[in-house]
Amino acid sequence: MQNEIIFAILALLTIVSSIVMISAHRPIDSALAFIVALICIAALFGLVNATFMFVVQIIIYAGAILSLILFIIMFLNIKDENLPDEKNKNWWLLGTSFIVAPFGLILIDLIIRSDITINRVPAEGFGNIKDVGLTLFSKWVLPFELVSILLLVALVGAVTLAKRES
Amino acid sequence: MNTFLILLPLMMTMLYSLATVPILVWMERRIAAFIQDRVGPNRCNIGGIRLGGIIQSIADMMKLVFKEEFLPSHIKNKLYYLIAPSIAFVSAFLTFMVIPYADNITLNGETYHMQALPTELGVLWFLAFAGLGVYGIILGGWASHSKFAILGSMRATAQVISYEVAMGLALVSMLITYGTINLNEMVSYQTQSFFIIPAWGAIIQPLATIIFIVTAFAETNRAPFDAAESESEIVAGYHTEYGAMKFGLFFVAEYIAMAASGALIVTIFFGGYQLPYLSTSDLINHFETILWGVIIFAVLTSILFLRWMNKNSRFEFSSNNETKIYTTLIIGFTFFATIVMAYYAFGFGETHEVGVMILQFVVFTVKLFVLHFVFIWVRWTLPRFRYDQTQKLGWNILLPLSLANIFITAIVVVIGVNYGN
Repeated sequence: MQNEIIFAILALLTIVSSIVMISAHRPIDSALAFIVALICIAALFGLVNATFMFVVQIIIYAGAILSLILFIIMFLNIKDENLPDEKNKNWWLLGTSFIVAPFGLILIDLIIRSDITINRVPAEGFGNIKDVGLTLFSKWVLPFELVSILLLVALVGAVTLAKRES
Repeated sequence: MNTFLILLPLMMTMLYSLATVPILVWMERRIAAFIQDRVGPNRCNIGGIRLGGIIQSIADMMKLVFKEEFLPSHIKNKLYYLIAPSIAFVSAFLTFMVIPYADNITLNGETYHMQALPTELGVLWFLAFAGLGVYGIILGGWASHSKFAILGSMRATAQVISYEVAMGLALVSMLITYGTINLNEMVSYQTQSFFIIPAWGAIIQPLATIIFIVTAFAETNRAPFDAAESESEIVAGYHTEYGAMKFGLFFVAEYIAMAASGALIVTIFFGGYQLPYLSTSDLINHFETILWGVIIFAVLTSILFLRWMNKNSRFEFSSNNETKIYTTLIIGFTFFATIVMAYYAFGFGETHEVGVMILQFVVFTVKLFVLHFVFIWVRWTLPRFRYDQTQKLGWNILLPLSLANIFITAIVVVIGVNYGN
């Protein structure tokens, strides 16, 4: 029962902050709402005992990426008069969400049909850092290395792009 | 007893974080004064009792609490402005939760953890919430709508982001050495001996220790990396527009962050709550012998302290003779403590585990305060780094060094596992 109540609160917070993130006029409001959403998702991971995902979500998304985004928003020093005029933005968003709604229904149906349910708390040891590490480095070592190379390519690309201008 | 033992680590967290702040402020001011050949605040008293000047920092706290709370009229985003100090404070406080203050204690077949949050995440929890603390600074600077504040918070953010990388990499090499991320297991690892010296993290991994301590200074925005609040350039940095307790929260958060990183450094690199060479089971088995040692140490230190105090304490302010009161108190306390300890040392008492736990609390506290002293010592010795020098040090020196350290550590560990023994 407690789990359901906590889940409901967190899910509601996630949805509300995501809506705020999309519909906010100023970029800083969007970024802050996004942080709230990410921390709520981290808490949801914690709720299903996936502690590693919980802490990684906070360190990487909420801690590192979003603080970079906020830093850039502050660096650009956007004033209110510089923002684009978006009078009908919320109507557009509402209309689009009505168009997308049927796909959402399909998704919900899919989730209900599959064996992932809210109440199932996984076995002890699931999602621990040790199990995640062992699985990652034994069963999935090739995809892991490929993803690292992909990240390295992105890094080198960023450096070359930055160097070209000077 | 059950509830008490579960609540004990939480209370210790409160003590080590919130209650040490006045003591840290006092230490900071007195040590700064001694380094600059002054005396420092020592006259504030209650009925002639000064406690060496600690009363001054209590008075400062009272002033901050009872000051008028005002809101500058140019603040447009009141919510962000008000929420920023609390974010900084809460995340600094949460980083403290995973520090083990003593070994796990087993009483009547039940094991209690002496960590406020006994999670296997350990160091990662610290990294996560130390990273969140920067939002308080960003928001505070942005919502203040002032050039100085925004400059300060941009400097702080850039510094924290760039030093977090080197800090994480220095930690990775420690994780490879210890083979665990659980802080309590790290401390048990450090009870081993490396030839004849204790296998503390600082001795096995000197390079990682230096990198981690330097990055911890930068993460907590303390001198010599406090360009974010450098008075000579940008007034007070990100908290220029804050007053009263809103400023107080930023101030306390900074000290708690310093205390938390000090506690983490003690735990990872300086053996945590362990005495060198003595593991918890050794302590429990030879409890009586160790207790005699503690009694001799306590009596000797209090005699030395009394002699030093009687020579140096000259303060005639009120009718109460301060030195006399302290002398009576110290002699009385030492006498009482010696009797209690002697009762156990003669083997009348049964609960050795509790005694060992208290001893470990004391060892941890002493180590922590030595580290606080180092933090303060560095602040009043080294001049402030210029902002670009800070960034250069982080990216050009610390990052490659920590990467090289990981590489070397990994090679040594792999060779040790495959060809050792």
